[in-house]
Amino acid sequence: MEFRTRLLETLRAVRSVLNEPGVLVGGSEVPNLLEIDARSSLVVSEDVDIVVPVDSHDGVKRALQSVVGFQQSAEEPSVWLPQRPELIEVNFIGMDSGPRAGETYVFEDAALPLLVFGNLCLLRPGKPVHVEDLVIPVPRPAGLLAEKLLTDRSGDKGDRDLLVVMGLLLVSEPADLDELVTLYQSLAPDQRYSIRSNLGILSLLEPRSQMPDPVPHRARLAKLMARFERADAT
Amino acid sequence: MTARLHERVRRMRERALIRAWEYRQRAYSKGVWFRLRRVLVDAERAFSIPEGDADQLESEGQQPLAVGHELSPAKRIFFVRREQLLKLDAVELPVRLTAPPLQATSVVLVAHGVDRPRRVSSAASRHSIPRCTSSGNVTGRLPYGQAHA
Repeated sequence: MEFRTRLLETLRAVRSVLNEPGVLVGGSEVPNLLEIDARSSLVVSEDVDIVVPVDSHDGVKRALQSVVGFQQSAEEPSVWLPQRPELIEVNFIGMDSGPRAGETYVFEDAALPLLVFGNLCLLRPGKPVHVEDLVIPVPRPAGLLAEKLLTDRSGDKGDRDLLVVMGLLLVSEPADLDELVTLYQSLAPDQRYSIRSNLGILSLLEPRSQMPDPVPHRARLAKLMARFERADAT
Repeated sequence: MTARLHERVRRMRERALIRAWEYRQRAYSKGVWFRLRRVLVDAERAFSIPEGDADQLESEGQQPLAVGHELSPAKRIFFVRREQLLKLDAVELPVRLTAPPLQATSVVLVAHGVDRPRRVSSAASRHSIPRCTSSGNVTGRLPYGQAHA
């Protein structure tokens, strides 16, 4: 069964969760979903991140009661493991846009504890993706680009995540990049440095099979770097 | 039940501390790799040149970039115009932080051309992610509409 089918089948299975206010599909599957007809051509890990605002945690727990086909991992309680081959792993991650925005912490709960990632507070709901019978809430590209460029990474996983940034950039509109630069200006100096550092690494990465090739787009990456630097100067 | 989550938070906070430390060190030796990458971001192509050619460039008033002197052994790195390349015995290098560019002692870079990439409408580029196949070929429509180099 092709990956796209499994991804959509998984999102169908957790549809009740996706209907909760503020819940988003995040992570590396977003560029896959933003392709024409959610073609899902990028090779990423076989899981999907569901971003849960801490304010919607109760609602998500209730919605999960109607979800079937998964078993919560005993070792990683925010991971729900598929019980059927047509599903993939679901990873619930927390987002806090309230007083603790920007902080990374554990949201304690007996049934669904969450690791709240500080950088996820950069996400804002975007235009939902309509595919088949699904309406999939995804973040605006700018916030996801900033979040992915900020996250500390290393090794092959890190390189692949940066190539996912490349994929996102390729489906971004000029207005998305304007928003990214505005968002960049709102960040702390060390965060802006990290974004520029990771953008530089992305520009120099070797092509990988079944991933976007940064080489033909290096001029575009250089322009984005220059825009960040001009933003720093103002 | 949440011990692993707490452990991940601890590791992430450690990385955040390291990131802040790296930022504080950015003006010193630790920041040299950032500065070298930054120079390469602006380069469309890179070439190794003989020492004699590097001497000639300097004698013509071309200043090597400061970042090259921060490495050991030091490198002379220049940005040159495309037409200058014709006078040099230049061997092309990949624009990456891999062994060949790091082993070269004198390097010339050519900045991304102002006439490239050729832009097509954003509507035409949307929702198509070109990607490499295992053979290294590219599938999908290139958003800028240019031929793949």
